[in-house]
This record gives sequence, structure tokens and C-alpha cells, in this order.
Amino acid sequence: MSLLSEETEVFEAAPGQRCAVVFLVRRRTPAPGDTGRTAAALGAELDALRAEGWWLSVDRILDGERPDGGEPEEASPGERTEDARAAPCRDVPAGTESTRAAPHRDVPTVYATGFSHDVDYVGMFEAPSPSSALAGTRRLEEAGWSRVFRTAWLLGQREFLPVVGPASRREDEWAFFALWSWNSAWQAATAQQRRAYDEECDVAFASDVRDGAAITGRHRLDGASRWDHIGVWRVPGVAMVDRAMREHARVADFKFTTSRHYIGRRTRLDDALRRK
Amino acid sequence: MNDVVWLHHSLPRTAWFELTPEEQARREEAFRAQRELSLRQGASRQGRFHVRGQGDYSHVEIWYFPSAEHAFDHWSRLVAAGYTACFEFSNQVGTAAEPAAPSA
Repeated sequence: MSLLSEETEVFEAAPGQRCAVVFLVRRRTPAPGDTGRTAAALGAELDALRAEGWWLSVDRILDGERPDGGEPEEASPGERTEDARAAPCRDVPAGTESTRAAPHRDVPTVYATGFSHDVDYVGMFEAPSPSSALAGTRRLEEAGWSRVFRTAWLLGQREFLPVVGPASRREDEWAFFALWSWNSAWQAATAQQRRAYDEECDVAFASDVRDGAAITGRHRLDGASRWDHIGVWRVPGVAMVDRAMREHARVADFKFTTSRHYIGRRTRLDDALRRK
Repeated sequence: MNDVVWLHHSLPRTAWFELTPEEQARREEAFRAQRELSLRQGASRQGRFHVRGQGDYSHVEIWYFPSAEHAFDHWSRLVAAGYTACFEFSNQVGTAAEPAAPSA
């Protein structure tokens, strides 16, 4: 797979075939009467997918290729994910002794967006391959997901590695989902104009990371949607995103894109499923 | 086995109409080469249909691919060949609804 656009100072190309499974969902109303049983069935299916290499939360995706819950692997020289590797990889309170063998550390997670958007929850999982992503969405639908949610699934391969700076905090419970399509002006731009644009945007992205945003990198979505790509940020809160968007507007990020943004608050999928 | 269906909706960008016929033909040739590579790699093209006026796009192509990876690779090569500079798009990937997958 070729890259949609080139690497930058902030974003480094990712190896492999891992594939985003983004979902934009609306709760069905009325909710089915057996949500408890559906939640249990989906929990079992998600356990199976996790065992097949799926990552089921933005937090886990931000951790990248580390062993689940284990200590950081030795980074190769010059590797730029060392900030991510230094971040705590725990779903237990700080100071609590965790065990490497503890199951379910990667808790299936969605983000509640219903307070300000036309969808109730959004989220991103990551599958080991596009085939696994496609088959897995079907399995989830058949295990009961479709009884509870009306869903737009957006699938596509990882392009850039996560960017997690020292200011990022794992306890931050807000996330910002940014879907982008390049517009006809970008399509008509020269390679030099696109490079200059990427450099301008990098100024804003570097500022975002300094302000505490942890960015999942970039996944392309153009093979199976109308969007070109998505980036998801774990952020300290809505005010930080507001400041960030002003900076992105200042550097003219949006002159070349159509964007759709969702902001949501971290919620366990199981809680979302069981909500009355 | 071609288990994966891939639907490609398209609409020409203004830039496409502004190309000379010769330039359009040159680009079409580049896109055709990528489609033929996909066919050689196991895809099958079921047709290209005119659907203008029923949505945001004017045409839809129906393809079958051996896998989602093949579909994404096909699209990635078209993009690299300049396809999206000429056409807006919306794509979908899916698997056969029937027969239903046996339950475990």
C-alpha cells in the first residue's frame, strides 16, 4: 500500500497491515429487552477477537506494538515511539500492583458523543488485517451488535504510527475523532504545495502533542468509505480541542480538507450496551 | 474464490472536464492498467453502471476480489495513479449475505 501523503516530522509511516475498525453508532430505540444477554454474547466475541490480535480501545491502540500490559520492548535505535513506550500501560490505578497475565486489560471502549452529535457513540478498534477487520465486523453484528446499534463501519489500513508525547496522560477520558477528505484544491495541488501544506499542519500537530494530545497516527479509510483518513486523539478535554482547532485554522489546515469531527467521553462498551 | 464484493461510486471532479481529450485518454490508460493488474491478480469486474441523480455520485462499479486486502490494494494503486485527482469517490466492501454464516 502506498501512502496517501508523505511522512512528516510528526508522523512516521507504519509497517504492516493493521486495520482500523471505526464505528459511528446510534442506539436503537426502544432498546431490545435482552440487553444483558446481548452484552454477554458480545463480550465473548470481543474476547475471541482480542485473542486474534484485535485491539479494542483507543488507549490500547496508542500503546502500539507493546506486549499487552507488559514492559516496553527494547526500542530499536532511532525509533520514534519511545514516548509512547514510556507511557504507563495500565488500566489499574497508579500504584496498584498489576500482573502481566491479567486478562481483559484492553477493555472494549467507546466514546459517548450523543450530547452534541447525531450519533450516540463513536470508537475505534484495530484488527490485525483488513480481512480480519471485515470478518470481525460481521461477527460482531451477528453476535448482537446490530440488535443494539445502527452502525456505520469505516475500515482501513494504518498509515502512520501513534504519536504520544510526554504531556499525554492515560487518565484523560476525552477523545477527538477527525475524519478527513482532501478537497479538489488538494487534488489539484503540486507535490511541492502539498509538502508546504504538510509542514504548516505539522506546526499545529506538534503544538497539539505539546498540549497533551496523544494521536493514533493516521489510518486511511478511502478503500471502504467516502473519507480519505482518520486520526483519533486522546485529549485532556474539550477546551484543549477548541484551542487546537484555532491553531489548525491559523495554519490553514482546512484549506485543503473537508472534515467531520466527533468529541466523546470514554465509556466502557459494556456500560453502553446495558444502558436503559 | 472471490468472496469480497467492492462497490465503487464515482463522480468526475471539475478538473476532469477541464482536461483535453488526449489528456483524459492518457489518464484513462493509466487507470485501465491498474484495473487489468487487479484482474490478473484474481479480481472480477461485474460492470460499471450509470446511477446519476440518485445520490451524490454518477457511476457505480461492482467488483469481486479474493480478499479485502486485494480490494484495498486495487484502490491504493488507482489512487497512486492519480485517480482521485479526477474523481470523487465513495467505496464499500462487503461479504456475501447468503448463505448465512453457520453459528458456532
